[in-house]
Amino acid sequence: MATSAGSAVGSEQIGGATSSAPPRGIIRRHANLTRELAISQFKVKYTGSVLGYVWSLLKPMMMFGMTWVVFEKLFHTGKGSANFTMQLLLAMVMFTFFSDCTSQAMNSIASNGNMIRKAYFPRHILVIAATLTSLMTFAINLSLIVVVAGLLRQLDLGLQSLVFPLLLVELYALVLGLSLLLSSLFVIYRDLGHIWEVGTQLMLYGSMVVYPLIPLVPIRLRTLILMNPLGQMVEDARHAMVSTSIKVPWAADVAGPLYLVPIGIVVGLLVLGIVVFNKLMPRFAEYL
Amino acid sequence: MGSAIVCEGVHKRFRVPVDRSTTLKYRLSHPRSTSRFHDLNALDDVSFTVPEGEFLGIIGHNGSGKSTLLKVLSRIYVQDSGTVTLTGNVSPFLELGVGFNPELTARENIYLNGAVLGLTHAQLDDRIDGIIEFAELTDFVDQKLKNYSSGMQVRLAFSVAIQADAQILLMDEVLAVGDQRFQEKCFDTFGLYKREGRTVILVTHDLNAVNLYCDRALMLDHGKLVADGTPREVTGLYKRRMGKASEAEDAKRGVAQGTERWGSRDVEVRDVRLLTAGGDTHRVFSTGEPMVIEVDWVVNSDSVRDFLVALRFDRTDGLSPLAYPSTLLTQALPGMARKGMSGTLRYRTDSWPFLSGSYLMTVEVYDEHRQSTYDQVERAVGFRVIDEKTRLGLVELGGRWEAETAP
Repeated sequence: MATSAGSAVGSEQIGGATSSAPPRGIIRRHANLTRELAISQFKVKYTGSVLGYVWSLLKPMMMFGMTWVVFEKLFHTGKGSANFTMQLLLAMVMFTFFSDCTSQAMNSIASNGNMIRKAYFPRHILVIAATLTSLMTFAINLSLIVVVAGLLRQLDLGLQSLVFPLLLVELYALVLGLSLLLSSLFVIYRDLGHIWEVGTQLMLYGSMVVYPLIPLVPIRLRTLILMNPLGQMVEDARHAMVSTSIKVPWAADVAGPLYLVPIGIVVGLLVLGIVVFNKLMPRFAEYL
Repeated sequence: MGSAIVCEGVHKRFRVPVDRSTTLKYRLSHPRSTSRFHDLNALDDVSFTVPEGEFLGIIGHNGSGKSTLLKVLSRIYVQDSGTVTLTGNVSPFLELGVGFNPELTARENIYLNGAVLGLTHAQLDDRIDGIIEFAELTDFVDQKLKNYSSGMQVRLAFSVAIQADAQILLMDEVLAVGDQRFQEKCFDTFGLYKREGRTVILVTHDLNAVNLYCDRALMLDHGKLVADGTPREVTGLYKRRMGKASEAEDAKRGVAQGTERWGSRDVEVRDVRLLTAGGDTHRVFSTGEPMVIEVDWVVNSDSVRDFLVALRFDRTDGLSPLAYPSTLLTQALPGMARKGMSGTLRYRTDSWPFLSGSYLMTVEVYDEHRQSTYDQVERAVGFRVIDEKTRLGLVELGGRWEAETAP
């Protein structure tokens, strides 16, 4: 019998034993689906509002404005640290991505119940697409800030700035790991919605977004607070982009070799996220 | 041909919580509360094989496990035990319009839905005009889907869904939506799929559709496979079980089996088949193509001397009889009929004359004087005819025009 050009033609046993590695055609199809889902979610997010895509920039800017007035102008938290306004802006954009992405992705399985119950495709795609949607907004915000701040000479760019792309990879790994973990657990435990709202707030204050590490944080707490991966990334990013006068977290008198701990946490969360997601995935359709 | 689907000893059990806890508080305060479940056997030792190119119907009352079976086949659910072997890729959707986003335009939804089917942007670029045209939505393609009527959404969903290059198509209650014309369009497409050697599995409550289009039917009851046979047998059993045609009623009308058959059975129709010229059993034919009808008969009584067989064609929309080709058997039989004698009659046409529509064929068997009925099987088999030229009317007359012009 003649089969059409489909790539997955062949004998495929499920539930039994054999499960061979997916052929390249399948990976390409899944990448295509992920992209289409991410783009359409991005469109849906900003259609129907008058300003459309502008909101993706306006919202973090307004958030930044508020925090800036409260922490920089009223509390003077940035005193003694170089160009704290720029530090705050950079950290706010990173944190907004972290919080938007994890909360959107957490819902990505639970809110697509109909699709999961009525159609088969790898469920990871929904989570990855949700993170990519947030990543698009993040990319727009970040590039605008880097270009504008660069032109206004608010950034201190040099060789140390080459670390920044690596930090973005680390940030995405953290967000992806958490998203997989949260989205699969959220299918079963809806409490997570509330818990994670508090969790992101905790991360805002626990990651030095609204204050500098030095001189504000007491010396004995500095190492501890840098063990938080988001805190480490924020501090590293400030050093890489805003001012070399800001100490790097891996400096001997800051975190030293313990610097590997936050990176280890990111890798651990990503592995845990994948393992938990794969374990719970076969039952999603039954829970939703 | 090989098997498209082999299902062996499939079990699926749902643990239905007595009161379901989805909060952490309950989990933490009752760490050992897992016993508060009762098990529901949604599928209990289900085994069957579907050959390539078969159109299989699955029926059963609500909660019989038929949708669960479809979900196991499509890998949406994972069975607890047993194996499912699928040859070829399976269409991902069980229902039409799954994954549509009402906030996006029809065009955007086509790309999104197409991606779930495994089509790339470039492939869809080539096909999008055809998809829109088939859905008859050319004027509305850049409107948001939420402004569409449900009928328009279904048309769009269907015309995207048929773009899948899947070898196995699974459909859950596709007939629950859409009007008569749309449903026929669906079945026409399934018929074409079958011709390409694709396998279609349909879960439905519509017994007529099963009778009309399916090659075979399965019936599930409380998770068990209780019947596997021809659509007539299985839907008949289902009707009896559901009490829609009680045996008392049958007796009153003097009907032996179901409500659509009567006669003395001195000569009995054993089987009726519709075949293509190549000898394959089919339920969808094109106008103008050859078709063969086979009737298997057996003589049950010594009193039979000879008999007549007639075929009657009705249209499902009520036009009947549409045609009545009779076959006189006096010459066909070598001498006198005897008890136990059996054979096959073939009615052959080189060019099928009917235009698009759904048809039902009735087989009538009489004595040679046409005085009494031996066996009359009403609506013995149903089939669809598709006229690829989409002409209006009932029949292709088969004539030719010739012109003579005087100056």
